[in-house]
Amino acid sequence: MHVYIYDDYLNRGRYNKTVNRMEIRLTDLGLNGKIIRLSGIKNIRGTIQNEIKLGAKTIVAVGNNQTVNKIIGAIIEADIYGDFQKNTLLGIVPIGPDNSIASSFGIKNEEQACNILLARRIKKIDLGLIGSYYFLNEARIESLGTKINFADYSIEAQERGEIRIINLLSDRSNTIKSNPHDGLLDILIKTKKGGETLLRAKNFSLINERYNLLLDGVVEVKTPNEVKVVSNRINVIVGKDRSFD
Amino acid sequence: MFNRNIKPEKFKDAETVIGASIKVKGNFNGQGNIIIEGILEGSLKTDANIFIGEKAKVVANIEANDLIIHGDVRGNLKVKNYLSLGATAKINGDIQFGTLSVEKGAVINGQLSSNGEVGKKEAKESEKAKLSDEE
Repeated sequence: MHVYIYDDYLNRGRYNKTVNRMEIRLTDLGLNGKIIRLSGIKNIRGTIQNEIKLGAKTIVAVGNNQTVNKIIGAIIEADIYGDFQKNTLLGIVPIGPDNSIASSFGIKNEEQACNILLARRIKKIDLGLIGSYYFLNEARIESLGTKINFADYSIEAQERGEIRIINLLSDRSNTIKSNPHDGLLDILIKTKKGGETLLRAKNFSLINERYNLLLDGVVEVKTPNEVKVVSNRINVIVGKDRSFD
Repeated sequence: MFNRNIKPEKFKDAETVIGASIKVKGNFNGQGNIIIEGILEGSLKTDANIFIGEKAKVVANIEANDLIIHGDVRGNLKVKNYLSLGATAKINGDIQFGTLSVEKGAVINGQLSSNGEVGKKEAKESEKAKLSDEE
């Protein structure tokens, strides 16, 4: 059974046509299911976990990166429903801007998303975890003042720039190759004069007293915090044009 | 010919790159090829190869298969195979190498010793060749 999680912003008039088009397409394909609108729901995690308990096999985020981020924790953190969650799949129907996660799965728009849900091409991928927050694509933070501590050594940037902790890149045009199956996070540091720094690690801690980490462009997390990769943690429905193998 | 900092082909897909504005402290143990352009204090070790750029400052004992140095290194070097010191290299420490190449202008303060690994390999290969010729 499919459960579609609609984000709050889809209530706005400008998305009505797109949502209607998607619903018609899903019905045509025989993929219609239960719809849950996030507006007005306080306990999102509990609601989704309840659906999983009731037998939902596929949870589809209808919205953007923020929508995915809101529901991902609920899908994978429900330890009490361990037997159910093994079979729970994550699907995405991107609507509107800020959809880099959908892009990395090879999903460009709502129409293509419906066809991809039907094709049901499944990949198991790693997730990044910072404190208690999961991320699919990447986490970003200002480089100046950030210290990264590994088991045997630490690194610090001496000038302004950006640190990206990457699990899965949203496109293939980048200079680095991220692999969401390798059990590692890529740490890419770009500073104005100092060029690029590239490291790979399973876990580390990170501190910056002035700036917060931004996960998948939507969730801000304070430091110091532990960062780690959770290997092959979630099953996702992906398209042919995804950014990974 | 005049650009001394050109990295060999094998470093183009280096696993680890430490940029010029980065400071590393501690025992840095890598698995693949490593490029250092910034500051490193502690120790540096890999089974693969290391490239140290012209502006890099390394205060560490280094162990590697191949090691190419164009920067400033204070510490002992243990190189299994090939050690190359560019014209801008400054080494303060003892050096153990398989084969050595030193460009004019490089500064070395320390003892040099060959680990004999390359010599042993060559001797083995020529012995094998002799045996196969005799057969």
